[in-house]
Amino acid sequence: MLKIKAGKDFWSGVMFLCFAAVGLYIARGYSMGTSGEMGPGYFPVVLGVVLGALGLLLIARAITAGDEPVASATIRPLLLLVVGVVAFGETIEPLGLVLSLILTVAIAALAGRESGPLEIAILSVALAALSVGIFHFALRLPLPIWPAL
Amino acid sequence: MDFLTNLATGFSVALTVTNLLYCFAGVLLGTLVGVLPGIGPVTTVAMLLPFSFTLPPESALIMLAGIYYGAQYGGSTTAILVNIPGEASSVVTTIDGHKMALAGRAGPALGIAALGSFFAGCVATVLVVVAAPPLASIALSFGPAEYFSLMVCGLVAAIVLARGSVIKALGMVVLGLMFGLVGSDINSGIRRFTFGFRGLADGIEFVALSMAIYGLADIALNLGKKEENAEVHSKIGRVWPTLADIKYCIPSILRGTTLGSILGVLPGGGALLAAFAAYTLEKKVAKKPRRFGHGDIRGVAAPESANNAGAQTSFIPMLTLGIPSNPTMAMMIGAMMIHGISPGPRVMTERPGLFWGVIVSMWLGNLMLVILNLPLVGMWVKLLRMPYRLLYPSIVVFCCIGTYTVNSNLFDVYVMAFFAVFGYVCVKLDCEPAPLILGFVLGPMMEENLRRSLLISRGDAMVFVQEPISLFFLIVAAGLLLIVALPTIRKTREEAMQE
Repeated sequence: MLKIKAGKDFWSGVMFLCFAAVGLYIARGYSMGTSGEMGPGYFPVVLGVVLGALGLLLIARAITAGDEPVASATIRPLLLLVVGVVAFGETIEPLGLVLSLILTVAIAALAGRESGPLEIAILSVALAALSVGIFHFALRLPLPIWPAL
Repeated sequence: MDFLTNLATGFSVALTVTNLLYCFAGVLLGTLVGVLPGIGPVTTVAMLLPFSFTLPPESALIMLAGIYYGAQYGGSTTAILVNIPGEASSVVTTIDGHKMALAGRAGPALGIAALGSFFAGCVATVLVVVAAPPLASIALSFGPAEYFSLMVCGLVAAIVLARGSVIKALGMVVLGLMFGLVGSDINSGIRRFTFGFRGLADGIEFVALSMAIYGLADIALNLGKKEENAEVHSKIGRVWPTLADIKYCIPSILRGTTLGSILGVLPGGGALLAAFAAYTLEKKVAKKPRRFGHGDIRGVAAPESANNAGAQTSFIPMLTLGIPSNPTMAMMIGAMMIHGISPGPRVMTERPGLFWGVIVSMWLGNLMLVILNLPLVGMWVKLLRMPYRLLYPSIVVFCCIGTYTVNSNLFDVYVMAFFAVFGYVCVKLDCEPAPLILGFVLGPMMEENLRRSLLISRGDAMVFVQEPISLFFLIVAAGLLLIVALPTIRKTREEAMQE
């Protein structure tokens, strides 16, 4: 039995291979054309094959030459940042800039773990106010400010 | 004569009140983000990209350029006083700069960094003025085959000079090229890789991608690290270095400037590589190399000159060929595209005001930077105490609003969220995102040029080898790949990167 210690190289290879597989799978629906008159599928297929080959190479190297383990990841900051961004996307149009940003900043501030509730409250209100000043009054971007009634 | 008319055109654009203000805003902001650890010029340029389209293109590019070279000045302040690079290209400055601060010579260190940067900035500006027109006119004669090979060469060089594994960097380039293909195919009109989303019909929004990687993913990584305890040495003393200091540093500044100017032009180069190389060179040529690492002022002068020179000459391939040599330049290209300007050699002839205005503004900006940095250094030091936990939420706000307003499309916000996760995973796997960004920007152009050259040659791939210029680029690319593949050279490369 081969003992595979999956590390950075191995998982990078897997990632490349996945993207290549998805790319090639979708590109099979596009016409290839000829090299003289390339169809929309030609370049994507070439890239997909190259990427897949690189992925395999990485996996092979990881198995034969050893691999460096993936450093432990702290999921919390990333997760809360993404939740904050999604919250912005969900609320900006119905609730407007002010409320949406207060929510987004509060969630994002939790990602850092260090801020207390009072600091988060002040920070989110201050950033929301500042943003209205910059983006609405100074740059005149078309953003809803308050909930549409 | 041409030279003077060009400069006159440049000054007439750069010296308007509006553009002077934006130049000032750019270098001010650049210094600020340079000083603040945890936020660099790439993030800042990405953050401001969507808002730059509310400005005329000249002002937008002048401001964005100011951020990039301004950060090179600001970065040295943090490096010297706190021993943390405020900006990646100042890493080497910490070695001798901070030792000088500990010995009570922070002032001269800051002074020589600013003066060296200013000198390098002036030289690099002249270099851009001199080198850009001939390069652009050569590039004008390029056909699609030459362009395709040039892009291959540029991307390969970017990989070779990147840190870490070459295979991974190559994979990231190819992945970037693939991401660049998402959206409607210009020739057939077919929508490719849109997964049925209408929001992807125009492709992946560049702003969303770059903000996700250099904004959100970067924050997530920073928050995952333990915050370093910043001990600020606010005792600075007199800022001006003595005449003896300056005399002692002149050769180092000259060497740093030369090396930085050359490395800035290379793809994958720019400020970061320039600073590292300059420090290594100084150690090699110095008569008493042992003093390096113990507060040798030359160890500040050379890399600081080099990073500023490199930052500025990296505009040469971007402005004349439309080829980005680093992610910041890729964003500048993105900014031009937002304004409907297609980057390439035609920019110089079709928009001389923009071209020369940006170049002249760099020189003016450098002048402003010396003034901003030397007397006001105390103010910047106070800013250093701003904790990251108060800083990063505002980056999140800029990312959200920027991505949303660039097309007034909510879909882009979700695209950004997706790529934030992707960017985080990549860095955790040691896959540098820089090659991906370069590939993404060049993807559509590369496919188009490949298609056209093979259409002209009726499908004969030999066309890339038969055209001499194209062949030259391909040989350079192959040579570079071969070099990294050879084990002995790979070893020295790894050693060089570690230094």
